[in-house]
Amino acid sequence: MTRRAFVEAGRGASRRVVAEPGGLVVSLAFYLVIVAVLSGLWRVAVAANGGDLAGYSAVALTWYIITSEAATVSVHARLIADVGDDISSGAIAVELLRPASVIGVRVATELGRTLPKLAALWVAGGVLAALVAGAPPRPVALLLAAPSLVLAVIANLIAQHAVAAAAFWLRDAGSAWFLYLKAVFITGGMIIPLELLPNGLERASLFLPFRAMAYAPARLASGFVEPQLLLEQLGWIAVLSVGAVAVFGAGERRLQVVGG
Amino acid sequence: MRGLWATLRNAFAEALAKPAALVSQMAVMAANDFVWVVFWVLFLDRVGNLGGWDRDRILLLQAVLTAAGGLSLGVFANARRVGAMAVDGGLDAVLSLPVPPLAHLLVRRIEPVNMGDLVFGIVLFAVVGDPTPARTAVFVLAVLASATLLTGFLVLTGALAFFIGRSESGELGFNAMLLMGAYPVDVFAGAVKVLLFSVVPAAFVATVPARLVDDFDLGRAGQLVAVAAIFATVAATTFTLGLRRYTSGSVWTRA
Repeated sequence: MTRRAFVEAGRGASRRVVAEPGGLVVSLAFYLVIVAVLSGLWRVAVAANGGDLAGYSAVALTWYIITSEAATVSVHARLIADVGDDISSGAIAVELLRPASVIGVRVATELGRTLPKLAALWVAGGVLAALVAGAPPRPVALLLAAPSLVLAVIANLIAQHAVAAAAFWLRDAGSAWFLYLKAVFITGGMIIPLELLPNGLERASLFLPFRAMAYAPARLASGFVEPQLLLEQLGWIAVLSVGAVAVFGAGERRLQVVGG
Repeated sequence: MRGLWATLRNAFAEALAKPAALVSQMAVMAANDFVWVVFWVLFLDRVGNLGGWDRDRILLLQAVLTAAGGLSLGVFANARRVGAMAVDGGLDAVLSLPVPPLAHLLVRRIEPVNMGDLVFGIVLFAVVGDPTPARTAVFVLAVLASATLLTGFLVLTGALAFFIGRSESGELGFNAMLLMGAYPVDVFAGAVKVLLFSVVPAAFVATVPARLVDDFDLGRAGQLVAVAAIFATVAATTFTLGLRRYTSGSVWTRA
């Protein structure tokens, strides 16, 4: 029953996104502008450094950026604020009446909403990268990057729900999404490969879940065949799931006791 | 004019009524801006310079952008909402008042989050901008011109919603402008560079003002003021013409 609820929630959300292509077009335009600018910046940087930056060529960095940005731009940026609003307003109380996990249905819905966007962005980004920089450095690595992108989105959605659950106690998660997104920016490797960070920051990022949300698929797409990154993502998803379910469960119990 | 001042004072009073929320939202935005500074420092430590732009000049550019963006999006917060209000029919309240609608709309609401940008930009200039009296004066004037241009651009792209019936153009214009403005224009070439000096005049929002602070040139300053004035005039005209096509949504808000 529960699994079917998740599948139906995700499928319904996907259909809504496809049926309303206007939003998809806006996201696509925004994404293409970002990756065109950012990848251009990195190509200038590589050229100024003799064609190599920490093992990345200009082509590799272009594929890195189109993938890291697809993984993050496809996810609703203000998800934490929106979930927090539903919690603090008490609107989420209605969902407690359903015979299915609230967080499970919500993550499945967001995943369904994100996947069509992710596919559209990554394909468009790939075409752009091929045109402005060249073919992917190692096409076989793209076969690993594709599932890694899906895992990145799943990890991101679960983590955002875990952070938003703070609203059960604080009644406001409005500004947290800004800080969360910026953590993904740097320690998640969204706009800069982790190998280019100073040593201390690079080491710190090893112990943070954000690298599973952008760096992992981007590293694979840039031609590094490192399948262990997929295992690392699965590990982070397991840890984040346990944490999110525990926090949401405690929050739901509090809502039932105190009232929404 | 007195009415507009009173409205602006009210907007500030409204924002100051919740000091804790104001400070926390400003701090979040300042932290957000600080991450960009970290990115540029890390990037330029690796790269050296970018088309002649070294670390100090890039940070000066960020100071101009955040201060001008903060002024435009913080003090004239409704500039970003013109398109949505035009489409949703949310202008009823302002149209019933005996004041110039656009001017009233612009000063009606303060956005505390973006006030953090303004403060951050000023602090960043004070820290890395070598603020001599002459440079400070140019910085202030350049930020004012840049904020005028940005506000004009936001109103213009938002007011297009009166004619095309959708408000996405405003949001797209806003994102494109801030995104492109964050990079020195010398990074771009060809058609993109032409675009940044014309249709999406992001070059005039940060690159040109930052150059003026570093190396003042009367001709370039005149260009900046002229472009800001042109966009402000075209925006006001488009908004006024658009009002003729406005349809009430019976949404009685304070706009």
